[in-house]
Amino acid sequence: MSSSVMKARLLSREGDESVYEVFIGPQHPASGHMRFIVRLQGDVIVGVDPDIGWVHRTMEKLAETKEALKAIPLFERMTIIDSQNVTIGYVRALEKLLGVEPPPRARYLRTLLSEMNRIASHLYGMGLSGIFVNHSTMFMWCFGDREVWIQLAEELTGARLTHAYSIPGGVRRDLPQGFAEKARKAIRYMRRRLEEYRKIFFDNPQVRARYEGVGVLKSHEARRLGVVGPNLRASGVRYDARLLGDYGVYDELDFVVPTAEEGDAMARLLLRGEEIRQSMRIIEQVLERIPEGPILAEKYLRLIPPKLREPALKEGRIKFPGIFANLKIPEGEAVARAEMGHGEIFYHVVSDGSKKPYRVRVVTPSFRNVVLFRYLPPGHRFMDFPAIYGSLDYFPPESDR
Amino acid sequence: MVGEILEIVFSPQFFGPVVFPGLVTVLLVLLTIIWVERKIAARVQMRVGPLYVLKPLGGAIQMLADGLRFFFQEFIIPETVDKLPFVAAPVVAMTFAILPFAFIPVAPDFIPYSVPYSMPVFLGLNTVIPLTIIAMAWGSNNKFSIQGGIREAYMTIAYEAALFTAALAMAITYGTLDFAEMVEAQGVPGILVNPLSAAVFFVAMLMSAGKLPFDIVEGEQEIVAGPFTEYSGIAFGLTMGIGYVQLYGFTLAFTLMYLSGWEPLIPFLHDIYPALGGVMLFAKAYLLMVFIVFLRSVYGRYRLDQALRLGWRRLFPLSLLSVFFAVVLRVIGVV
Amino acid sequence: MSVEDLLRRLEEKGLEPVDRGDVVSVAVEPHALREVAELLVEEGYDHLASVEGIDRPGEDVIEVVYHAESYSEELWGKLAEIRVRVPRGEPRVPSLIDVWPNALFLERETWDLMGVVFEGHPELRRLLMPPDWEGPPPLRKDYKVATEGVFVVVE
Repeated sequence: MSSSVMKARLLSREGDESVYEVFIGPQHPASGHMRFIVRLQGDVIVGVDPDIGWVHRTMEKLAETKEALKAIPLFERMTIIDSQNVTIGYVRALEKLLGVEPPPRARYLRTLLSEMNRIASHLYGMGLSGIFVNHSTMFMWCFGDREVWIQLAEELTGARLTHAYSIPGGVRRDLPQGFAEKARKAIRYMRRRLEEYRKIFFDNPQVRARYEGVGVLKSHEARRLGVVGPNLRASGVRYDARLLGDYGVYDELDFVVPTAEEGDAMARLLLRGEEIRQSMRIIEQVLERIPEGPILAEKYLRLIPPKLREPALKEGRIKFPGIFANLKIPEGEAVARAEMGHGEIFYHVVSDGSKKPYRVRVVTPSFRNVVLFRYLPPGHRFMDFPAIYGSLDYFPPESDR
Repeated sequence: MVGEILEIVFSPQFFGPVVFPGLVTVLLVLLTIIWVERKIAARVQMRVGPLYVLKPLGGAIQMLADGLRFFFQEFIIPETVDKLPFVAAPVVAMTFAILPFAFIPVAPDFIPYSVPYSMPVFLGLNTVIPLTIIAMAWGSNNKFSIQGGIREAYMTIAYEAALFTAALAMAITYGTLDFAEMVEAQGVPGILVNPLSAAVFFVAMLMSAGKLPFDIVEGEQEIVAGPFTEYSGIAFGLTMGIGYVQLYGFTLAFTLMYLSGWEPLIPFLHDIYPALGGVMLFAKAYLLMVFIVFLRSVYGRYRLDQALRLGWRRLFPLSLLSVFFAVVLRVIGVV
Repeated sequence: MSVEDLLRRLEEKGLEPVDRGDVVSVAVEPHALREVAELLVEEGYDHLASVEGIDRPGEDVIEVVYHAESYSEELWGKLAEIRVRVPRGEPRVPSLIDVWPNALFLERETWDLMGVVFEGHPELRRLLMPPDWEGPPPLRKDYKVATEGVFVVVE
């Protein structure tokens, strides 16, 4: 398909009097924080206009007014369900500008929390896919099981959702006692639950009738439209920002990036289940192989006064060195990409040598997936629209930043 | 004087439609079955469900609290609605939902209105309800309501034919159109005699009452609440209740036609008062209702065209096949 | 399709690409933008990762930076960066929506927040800002955020 055909499908058409406009607006039980202007002809969708921007919190502008370090809790509010993966990109960009590398133990810990957050984010997405066809059991089960992973993250970082775990140079806290045992128990529980999900949802003939063959995205379309995350991999493109080797210890671990061939909504849902399995494999390997050592880079560790340094390392909680209050980012630019549950997030940090960044550009995976709302629904029936929405795992606050 | 009033109250013509299985029982069933639905769904979904209204009983009278709240809530009539259909339609709907109970026999000698064709009358009165729902949708003057009304119209056309034909198959099997005579003629329960007809009637019953997986008319994820979007206060309570009242009526009909109705009649209860002998009928219908509301925990919602395809391409031919099967059974002389 | 091919072809066009580790960066004039973009598509960079505007009031330019990305294994480690400088008073850049279809929302956002007009973009209307926003583009450095006063009650 040439790009002019693609472009024609992407542009919105107003239509004539036979076109019926339905506003699935922000005041709607199933729209999230955004509005869709769905144009119907009879029961067939002829166009969808995603109207985003209702949760725009001006994060790029705010990042210019704050010291570089303070932007970490700011950026994690974009996708609070996945907060480690959202901030790790920004922290990597800062580390490239500052010229500091985290020690191996810190990289393992970052990977551990990344995968735990990925599982929680995928459970959120699977729960949404359940409720969008009114399957309330899948919704409740996924959100209930998410609790397991949130409590595990609370063990590790001290907060259920707002982790703020990665800092330039390392991580904030070390593994507590007994964490490995709890994590293994959670993994065993999750493996049983994935079987239950299969029995009640993925093998449910009614759910298959709603999701199979709906919203098919072919591989070359997915490449051209720049979609990310499980939506991309379900169309057969094997791309994952973890494979870039830029952060974490993914090149040392043994895991598979799953892909699917069909590209329909069912493939996207099943892929998320597969990715949860792979994330659990990664967590098991991380817990086995994690090396001993400090959790903050030597460059910053030696700036903590010795009296505080020893107890901090022994307890596993970092006290920020005084320099963090006035951290000057050297002049330059850095680009970093990380893989969130929803897809790839892109950071571009431009610094002019002062404490506050000159410009931070962040492109979130949901913002890159918005174009699918234009591209996929035309030609489908109106009741396919929630099915497409549920399969895309779109997160409005992340897209609007 | 008191004797005469008591005589009227306990006559089948009054007691049937008003007390059992009519108005009062309908309200009690409405109160309890929604609680049962919410509790079952909650237990399946690792939750607790309604708990606090009467804590020792596990929140059993939650729906009574909800119903009372509806009475105190303001019934907002928006400016842009068409007032007559908007206000009258829920009332007419509920009336026609409760009216068929006048034709349900509870015991062999307790039939409110004994007509030789109570089964078609029962099903026919239930057919008026989709018309009132379309009136609600039209009166609401709201895009989502119109969509819901159109869906209701399509769904009605899909299941009504199959429903009637499946019931017709049972009528042919027993040689009568009257519920009471059907129960008398059932030695073996109807579900074993003509299982095809039972299956078709069951699925069509689900579509009629709007239970999952066929709650397409009030599809929350696409059209807010369908025809019921603009209703608040007591009218909202009425519209929410219509589906359950229809379900109760249909499960009674199903029990009468397929599960051998009030057999076995409990002798000592029957001697006290004939209607009490119908306790088995009520128990079977209630258990069937509990099974149907349990389906909410298992299924999502079908798409409209999939439900229509099911109704016309699968259910209707199967119901015709069940009529043929009933004719064959009669000709052979099995029944 | 490799990074060396890309660098070679860019140099053949007379540009000076800089390989900065994660990105291959090239500065381009607005009138040559579309050619370079089509070259990148041919080399395998078939979609955009980001379009941003960097406001530089000191030099009186707005720098529009495109980051093109590829999903193929040889190229996915390196983004292709195109930098264009346009005058701050008249920021007009040709739209690349014919070359990269997914520039649809990215360019619209840059117009919305930074005020860069993309000529040829079919739908330049408000995306993140309210639909009736009339003020100056918010991401500019001279945009003053209206702050509320602090009210202190003195007993």
